[in-house]
Amino acid sequence: MQAQTAVNTFVHETGGWVASQLEACTRCGMCAEACHFYQGTGNPELAPVWKVELLKRAYEQRFTIIGKLKLATGIDHHVTDDNLLHWSKIVYEACTLCNKCSMVCPMGIQLGPLIHEVRTGLSAAGMVPADLMSAVHKQEAEGSPLGVTDSVYDDRLEFFEDEYEIKLPVDKKGADTLVVFSSIEIMKYPGNIAAIAKILNAAGENWTLSHAGREVVNFAFFEGDNEETVLFLKRIFDAAKDLGVKRIVVTECGHAYDAIRWTAANLMDVPEGVEITHIAHLLGELVRTGRIKLKEGMYDNGGTITFHDACKIQRRGGHIQEPRDVLHVLAPKSFKEMIPNRAEAICCGGGGGVIAIKEADPYRYAAFELKVDQLKKVGASTVVMGCSNCRLQFDDCVQHFNLDVKVAGLSQMVADALIE
Amino acid sequence: MNWLAILDFARGPFFEVALLVFIGGLAYRLMRILLLGWHFDRIKPAGSKLGGALISYLRGILIWPFIPWVRNTFSKNPVIYIAGGLFHLGLFAVIFLDAAHILAWQSLLGFGWPSLVTPIVDWLAAIAIVAMILLFINRLVNPVLKLISGPAEWLNLLFVFIPMLSGYIMAHHLFFAYEVNFSIHMLAVDILLIWIPLSRISHFMFYFFARAIHGADFGKRAVIP
Repeated sequence: MQAQTAVNTFVHETGGWVASQLEACTRCGMCAEACHFYQGTGNPELAPVWKVELLKRAYEQRFTIIGKLKLATGIDHHVTDDNLLHWSKIVYEACTLCNKCSMVCPMGIQLGPLIHEVRTGLSAAGMVPADLMSAVHKQEAEGSPLGVTDSVYDDRLEFFEDEYEIKLPVDKKGADTLVVFSSIEIMKYPGNIAAIAKILNAAGENWTLSHAGREVVNFAFFEGDNEETVLFLKRIFDAAKDLGVKRIVVTECGHAYDAIRWTAANLMDVPEGVEITHIAHLLGELVRTGRIKLKEGMYDNGGTITFHDACKIQRRGGHIQEPRDVLHVLAPKSFKEMIPNRAEAICCGGGGGVIAIKEADPYRYAAFELKVDQLKKVGASTVVMGCSNCRLQFDDCVQHFNLDVKVAGLSQMVADALIE
Repeated sequence: MNWLAILDFARGPFFEVALLVFIGGLAYRLMRILLLGWHFDRIKPAGSKLGGALISYLRGILIWPFIPWVRNTFSKNPVIYIAGGLFHLGLFAVIFLDAAHILAWQSLLGFGWPSLVTPIVDWLAAIAIVAMILLFINRLVNPVLKLISGPAEWLNLLFVFIPMLSGYIMAHHLFFAYEVNFSIHMLAVDILLIWIPLSRISHFMFYFFARAIHGADFGKRAVIP
């Protein structure tokens, strides 16, 4: 019964965009070479091509003569509830939708977005890991998956203002820029919040935070539930409209950026004339235009610094050059690239909701082994990133693998290097 | 057995039927995809979709198939990656630039074009055949390929391999009388033509969709160029 719901959703979602890409697959298996979950575990069921198998079967059996023949002759079978259980495990626990696989696919098939479609079907059928589901429910009820309710938000902001001696404007009408933090930053990386506030104040930016739009993380987008995704996005867009801002800045969160910048307009009406950008882009712009001044070479005497590309901010977000421009100012001598990097970078293994699912831990650690390898090869003593979700994964894994590497956020490094 | 009669059949009516199935089948599949409906993309682009798509094609054709070390992704088994690239290179050279095949194109289309010198085509064909054998072995042993390979995947290899091999044997006048080799080659080609629209060998048509989608998405997000 659940299987039928999933299949119906797949069929409903399948337009030319999905079908043409499924048809292009030659089943060469190259995508597995790129997948950190497969490379880390050696389990062939984690290969990207296998992750979209469910969607492919639903498409073939509904839309193609061959698929119908295969079904009639018993070569292929109907999708069952057991199948859903299997795929729920591999697409939620062992995939970050980082889309590295599409970089090596000879056809260029967008496997990441296709796996997102698989999640959408599973979400409709209610086959979502319990940990992820409870985070979505929490975000629906409290406004944040990490329990940042209205009053918690106020308490935290007050605490930050005292602790870091910064000014945090909230619900300021007539501001140009609405900054939306993720609850990971609010609860776990307050330094990020202080840093971004410090930078924006130093640049003389007319900015504000918002109560209604206080959470940029979108757990429904992880889940693949379009309706809920829209609900969470609407909170931010409504806040932007109320305050009359010209720009929304997403802070150090990757998946949220993919949702609000690259998906929202296809799911809902977005306010016109409001630019959406990422803090990584803003940092680059502020440094390039000279609106903030940094101490050049500030981090040059602490060993090798490397940059971890977040899948949703760099490969899927396009802000590849800006963080490098900033790092070339901050650490021109000690900044070194990991290989592969930029659009080809290896994902941290914690994104896409994976880190929120307890059962996914073995996969998550296995995937990170590729990152350990990279860090060791480049000889990094500090690894910088612009995504708090990556940072959670790095912080946890540095401990798990007992690495002597410092994990840092880009905004914090910039804030510490500001010339007042 | 009257091989001349078989050859006549394989080059005549059977070939015509096969060609019809090939063209009709692919046309059907193309229409099917086009008519499934396409959403209009309302996302405001940060870069050029067209530029991204063009670069995606160029990279896909010129760079990726032959340089597995680009960005270090295929350091674990570059041979298989190169085998795939060389197989396609050899296949294209043989189909479109071999003197005998250009004659066949001429009789079909009414015009021909200059061919590549025979020894080069010959070597490329041999390389393609060896590459196919490597790809076959890889499909036998690679755990992912074992998982995703059904009867269709094995038939794909077989139906492409026989025309390649029989063509090579025929060009070198090996083993059997010429009309026997020719008949086997033509029969194999006919079967392949019928098989293509039924199988994933038709990827050459959907390649253009997937590459364009990939490039446009990366162009839109200003990741490439």
